[in-house]
Amino acid sequence: MRCEQARQLFDAYLDGELSGALATELGAHRVKCPECRRALALMEVSGHIVASDRDPVVLHGQFADRLLACTDRKPIRSWDRLRRGLYIAGPLAAAAVVALAVLGVFDRPVRFAGKRVEGQPRPDVSSPEHSAEAPATGRSLDEHLLEEWLKETQENLAAKRDSGESLQRHFELTISQMLDILKQARVASDGTDHVPGADGQVPASPPEPAPADDEDVEDL
Amino acid sequence: MARGIERETAVTPSREYEKQLVGRALADDRLALRKLVELHKDRLFSFIWRMARNHHDAEEICQEAFLKAFASLDTFSSEYRFSTWLFTIGYRVCLNHLRRKRALTGELDFTALPHERHGALPASIESEEAGRLKELVWSAVDRLSAPQRATLVLFYRHELSCHEMAQVLELPVATVKSHLHRARHRLRELLESVTEHELQEFRNRAGAAG
Ligand SMILES: [Zn+2]
Repeated sequence: MRCEQARQLFDAYLDGELSGALATELGAHRVKCPECRRALALMEVSGHIVASDRDPVVLHGQFADRLLACTDRKPIRSWDRLRRGLYIAGPLAAAAVVALAVLGVFDRPVRFAGKRVEGQPRPDVSSPEHSAEAPATGRSLDEHLLEEWLKETQENLAAKRDSGESLQRHFELTISQMLDILKQARVASDGTDHVPGADGQVPASPPEPAPADDEDVEDL
Repeated sequence: MARGIERETAVTPSREYEKQLVGRALADDRLALRKLVELHKDRLFSFIWRMARNHHDAEEICQEAFLKAFASLDTFSSEYRFSTWLFTIGYRVCLNHLRRKRALTGELDFTALPHERHGALPASIESEEAGRLKELVWSAVDRLSAPQRATLVLFYRHELSCHEMAQVLELPVATVKSHLHRARHRLRELLESVTEHELQEFRNRAGAAG
């Protein structure tokens, strides 16, 4: 057997599909030919490593608990919807801020609710003193604060994941945080504690959260 | 032969047991759901981590795969193994993730993201050379295309047949075989610097280690 013929049999051999005379011939060629011997040994050793090398990482110990917590209160059919809701929450909040910035709501610096940890007193932004303090700067949005808030939201998401807290609860918190932002933005801009036309409502037309290529896996 | 090597695989539940679990889960039996998760989570994670190469992403993908599987549990056909079906969903989610990531990194022109360690820290019995060879092999595996990497990992690590791989990748058996064969061919090119002596050493040690 020549090398070229031998090489054509490598895959069948490695797939475990070579037997009989051809297998014997390949075996004989392997003994004589250092190049084919090395090539086959390389594939066998690689296969061995891929098969049996231990993973350096393991799944989080509470993975099952967290996963099942997501499914606790909702019937199976609506889990996906709930998950998507969570994905919307972060981008939606940011989009709301950006949209308001574009609309010119933030004609003064905005105090973001993000700095306030749950349970701590929130800054008294509705006090006349505070409103008077906020100087008009001409900037439509304080990017630094926005970035800070987005990072904090990101951290909160990670923390929720680690603590296994329910997604629904987090969704509610994010919504109320967004409403805080809107409220404070309004206070900062005109001194009234009122979100126009939508008390307690989430801004209409949330951005489409799902990337286009997500659609083809929705049919499962 | 590389096949049939002992490895750390979980006990595979019988088809009948799987069918029972799925039936109970559909009847909203929480224990059955938990059992399905416990039985399959580590294997799925191992596969997905080798594809995504990021711990956090792999966990997210696994979670999404399970949630999608549970959401469409009533469409599960018992002619498949539950694990095969779950891997199919996981692979789809993972491909979407990789596509998104590539689009993102391409657009922003990031340099290649740092990958996590390939293998476990070397055990005391493992020589530096063996560790280096493992690192080389996994680095080469990382450079394969997604379907090539998937077939290689599913064939060797998860011991799936070509027929089962075809189900997971949702491709014809011939295409799957071609991906596996091209993966091997590419590995041979990428690992050209590895000498026969190194391979022999590795085998001797692997043999000695049991
Ligand atoms: Zn030869």
